[in-house]
Amino acid sequence: MEKSAKAPPPRIDDDAVYSLTAKGKTELRGAGTALTAIELELLIHLDGTSTVAQVVRRNSAHARDKLLEALDKMSRDGLVAANVQSDNIEATGFFTRPIFPADPSAAADAAKQSDITLQLLRRQGYVARIAKRAAAETRKLNPGERLVLLVIEDDEQLAKVLRMFMQLDGYEMRLAGNREQITAALRLGKPDLVLLDVTLPDVDGFDVLARMKQHPVLKSAPVVMMTAKATREAVLKGLALGADGYITKPFEMDVIGHTVKSVLGLA
Amino acid sequence: MTFQRLSREFDALRAEYRKSMAEKLDRIEALWELILKGMHDDTRLAQLKRELHTIAGSAGTFGLPQVGDAARAAEDCLGEAADLATLDAKQRDDFARLLGNLKSAARAPH
Repeated sequence: MEKSAKAPPPRIDDDAVYSLTAKGKTELRGAGTALTAIELELLIHLDGTSTVAQVVRRNSAHARDKLLEALDKMSRDGLVAANVQSDNIEATGFFTRPIFPADPSAAADAAKQSDITLQLLRRQGYVARIAKRAAAETRKLNPGERLVLLVIEDDEQLAKVLRMFMQLDGYEMRLAGNREQITAALRLGKPDLVLLDVTLPDVDGFDVLARMKQHPVLKSAPVVMMTAKATREAVLKGLALGADGYITKPFEMDVIGHTVKSVLGLA
Repeated sequence: MTFQRLSREFDALRAEYRKSMAEKLDRIEALWELILKGMHDDTRLAQLKRELHTIAGSAGTFGLPQVGDAARAAEDCLGEAADLATLDAKQRDDFARLLGNLKSAARAPH
């Protein structure tokens, strides 16, 4: 019988993000392991947020081919799994991945933006009424195209009002009010914009924001924070973590509509 | 959706919100009584603050700005307190008064 040639390993995308499966986590915690040194290095570095290219750079002591070969083997052995498949979002682990503090330069930039905003908005009796980052470019929708808005708000009635008014403006609406619903909503795919309440029953809105902005796929979705308590610290925190807008409650529906359009570049 | 239909739906939601206010206030009052009775539970004061915070954030949108303001004042009164022991006598008295204001604002004709 003729011996078949060894198949080349499948191509691994440099931008792919891998994280440990339950089996991989057990292997990492286990005292004894049959894994090679290079495989153990990968288990440590595949944190669910770093791309393959970044992991390869951090392990420059090993040849790239050897690292990719090991990664491929570990994937086939079920120790690691790619988080991203084309444009789909693998939301599993959204709330368990490690997150990193805001970049200090982002915090300084946010402080500058916020101070200008505050001067303008204090007159209205709020620390901030709306703070928003303008969209990079104007966007035109194709005929029949509907943008998806995800509203993360635990007040069911307020969420219903938002859905009703934003549907009228032609948006496709998704609602979520707690961790489980957020994960389920994100599994449906990347929304075009997220309206995010700061105070939620089982998770902090800033934590959701940080996780979104550090997620390989979700980070490009604009997030507008909604809060009933807009202290200067809270506004700065949100902007430093990458929030694209800030709206204080209670709000008029036209404020929401205007902000969403501005942030999406539709205005 | 026509403007008339939108208006009807919003009126229905507003009515639902106002109807649910009584239940929310009952829950807030019950929580406060349990806290005052010393039936200690770390989560109760946090829950009380969250209930007030939610009303503060939504009442104005449903045409009840006075209710929202009263809820915000009550929430602010509790400040960063984590439990009853960290609330002084003045804060407790103030909160009882502000809770009364909130109930009056919710019961006032709108």
